[in-house]
Amino acid sequence: MSALAPPSSEPVVAVDRVTVRARSRTLLDGISIDFSARSLTAVVGPSGCGKTTFIRTLNRMVDLTPGLRVEGEVRYLGQNIYARGVNPVVVRRRMGMVFQRPTVFPISIFENAAFGLRLVRANEDEIDTAVTEALERAGLWEEVKANLDGPALSLSGGQQQRLCIARALAVRPRVLLLDEPTSALDPAATQRVESTLQRLKDDIVVILVTHNVGQAARVSDRVAFLHSGRLVEVGPTAEILERPREKLTEQFITGRFG
Amino acid sequence: MTPSLATPLEAIDDLRRDRTGHVWRRTALDRCVGWVLPLLFLVAIAPIADLVYWVGKQALPTFTWSVLTTNPSGAGGGLFAPLAGSLAILALATGVSVAFGFLGGLATAEYLSERAAGVVRIAANVMVGIPAIIVGLFGFLAFVRYFGWGSSLEAAAVTLGIFMTPYVYRATDLAYSSVPSHLREAAVGSGARPLQYLLRVATPIAFPQVLTGVFLAMAIGVGETAPIYPIIPSLVALPPLGLSQPVGALPLYIWEGFENGLILPTAIHRAFQAAFLLLVIVIGLNVLVRVIAARSRRRLEGLFQ
Amino acid sequence: MTPESVPRDGRDRQPLPLSERLLSGLARWWPYAPALIPVALTLAIVASLVGASALQNFGWGFFSFNVTKYGILIFVVGSFLTSLPALALAMLIGLGIAVASTTFLPGWLSSWLDPFVDLLAGIPSIIYGLWGFLIVAPFFGHDIFPWLAPLLSGIPGFHTAVNSPSKEGTGLALAIVILTLMILPITTLLMRDALRSVPRDLWESGLALGATRLEVASRVAIPYSKRGIWGAAFLGFGRAFGETVAVFMVISQVQRLPTNVYGGTSTMASLIISEINDNLSGTGLHYLAEIALVLLAITLAVNIAGRWMIRRTFTDVAGI
Repeated sequence: MSALAPPSSEPVVAVDRVTVRARSRTLLDGISIDFSARSLTAVVGPSGCGKTTFIRTLNRMVDLTPGLRVEGEVRYLGQNIYARGVNPVVVRRRMGMVFQRPTVFPISIFENAAFGLRLVRANEDEIDTAVTEALERAGLWEEVKANLDGPALSLSGGQQQRLCIARALAVRPRVLLLDEPTSALDPAATQRVESTLQRLKDDIVVILVTHNVGQAARVSDRVAFLHSGRLVEVGPTAEILERPREKLTEQFITGRFG
Repeated sequence: MTPSLATPLEAIDDLRRDRTGHVWRRTALDRCVGWVLPLLFLVAIAPIADLVYWVGKQALPTFTWSVLTTNPSGAGGGLFAPLAGSLAILALATGVSVAFGFLGGLATAEYLSERAAGVVRIAANVMVGIPAIIVGLFGFLAFVRYFGWGSSLEAAAVTLGIFMTPYVYRATDLAYSSVPSHLREAAVGSGARPLQYLLRVATPIAFPQVLTGVFLAMAIGVGETAPIYPIIPSLVALPPLGLSQPVGALPLYIWEGFENGLILPTAIHRAFQAAFLLLVIVIGLNVLVRVIAARSRRRLEGLFQ
Repeated sequence: MTPESVPRDGRDRQPLPLSERLLSGLARWWPYAPALIPVALTLAIVASLVGASALQNFGWGFFSFNVTKYGILIFVVGSFLTSLPALALAMLIGLGIAVASTTFLPGWLSSWLDPFVDLLAGIPSIIYGLWGFLIVAPFFGHDIFPWLAPLLSGIPGFHTAVNSPSKEGTGLALAIVILTLMILPITTLLMRDALRSVPRDLWESGLALGATRLEVASRVAIPYSKRGIWGAAFLGFGRAFGETVAVFMVISQVQRLPTNVYGGTSTMASLIISEINDNLSGTGLHYLAEIALVLLAITLAVNIAGRWMIRRTFTDVAGI
């Protein structure tokens, strides 16, 4: 087993019959799907279909919403992350997450990228290397290398979002979760984030939630379609977008709803 | 990909055994702090619970209707005069503070440019910070001496009113400033005159917030000793008879109980009863504020999305 | 030419009489005038104190520690000695409560506890004073100081020759404790609101990076709310510095500097309220007005500095 990625046959993340219930509603209903290394999966579906809940189930962010119950298993390299004795802090360190709007912290660009490493008391040399590498992988290095100590909030929206990606990458997660990362960005910034994502999937598992079918077509190699908390179908991007098996999928991608 | 962390990834792939990055210590610290910090609520609440309990315990056994209906006499008697005095001062002071504060806040929010409003707001914020005793001394110098009103209800009420003004002012300013600007555009666009907009659109939205500001100012004002003590330094045992007559007030009777209580036990009983009455009034006003605020929040929930 | 024979058209060209110009100006500007009320009242307060203080009689001689020659520095020092420690304590405890409420407690519990803290802000200071004098002071004097004083007596300012340094319990230490309790609700409330204004997804991105709740609070939320926390400090200081009645009731007032934390002293505000009744005119009143003027000057300076600083930190945060 390589130090960086397990054999691609074994899924990095296995979602096994996951059901998430709120007090009176079922948000996710018996979802099973595997995510293997070096893949970029787009999770698409109309708003309110449970996309965000789904992605938050993968790194135990659902723990933060009071009243949600999770049934079934989410296995990270074969280990159920919801098992007793598993610390969510440990889980989240392995699964980076990027949100709808850029969420840079009100500190310098460098310190933003170094945030996760400072938490684990990495030494200065490690931090320098990791920050540089993460900014390069996020495609931001050339733009900010002269101004690493400047305030992160002075960056443009697209740059801030790529800084958030770099911040997540700096702790070297195996999985990167993105929740509609371009919904607050203009087309040019969106395009840069998308090309960053395509490069990333060579190293890690990328799971991208989006309501934008075009984006899924541009960047993903697999599409999962969610509707009303159910996984309707999943398959290679070209197949799903051109010859969907299910009626609902076809209606969604041809723009009948959503 | 080059490894950037000293710990290779496969060493920490076991979720349960991972100890890298001091994660156990950090999590344990988080848990401990999570248990200890909430105990600080006790530091804030326990002393005051003791205070309220103790005032109640001292006041209630001797608290009868005659406390509310009879005037003080000597070191004993009831509290009718100071209660009536406090309410009279409060009513007039509220009038003064609303006249000053409401008009001022309205003008600032609706008429001034952002720049000018910024300057005036600083003045209002600074005025909130002026110690009560200084306002009291000002009232004594200006109204008792300079205007020659003497040690009177009117001098006390205007002084307390000035003390309360910045609170009403800020609440009004905030209330009218936070009316969404698209409502004004919509109103003016549909042909409303500025005054119509003010009365029919902005005021219904801002009013509950202004009202809570006024009640909060009253709750602060009614218990203050320092603004009225320099004006009415001697204890008055008669209910308010006229604007130019001196009056008693509840805080002044607590003060008196403190000063004479060790010699005259009846004075200290009276002080507790006055303290109890004040607590009831203050807590009552605060609860009222909360109820109004909660109701208006529900009513306007959709507006500030 | 008589005034009646002035031709009408000529009269139209003349400038309007002053009274009419004033009236039309008034009509145009009257809605703006009330906005100046806070400015006018503040200026009136300053003016009345300047007028009464008779700076011209005393000159600057009042900047001395000699009370018999109307020096006021003892009281200035006394005010800082009571309010600064109280502020430090109230900020620390208040920040703890604010973090507990926003970070650690479940929502339903903090929404029950928070209103209690808010309610405390409204309790009149004279009731704090009465309670402090009659209940807390004897408790401190009999039960706390006798065992605490020997433990602490190595610290400068805490040194005391006797085991029970203040039998009555009143003095500087009690004044600090009561002041802390009095300003704790306001500092807590402001810091809590500041922390609550941190966007939810900022909290979540901290947690998603593998931070614990405590780490997000200390590394993200508190830096983000710098502005509100500074505001809480300045407002809390203003409250403590100007507090009058409660301090007077528990400080065991004497007109000298305290020898240690258990000793009595005076603050500017407590001196004014205790002396005003006996000094309704003459030199005594000038003296009190002068103390009030210094108290006001410091309060205003701190307030304005606070506003300015808050604005600065805010622009720092916003990256403007």
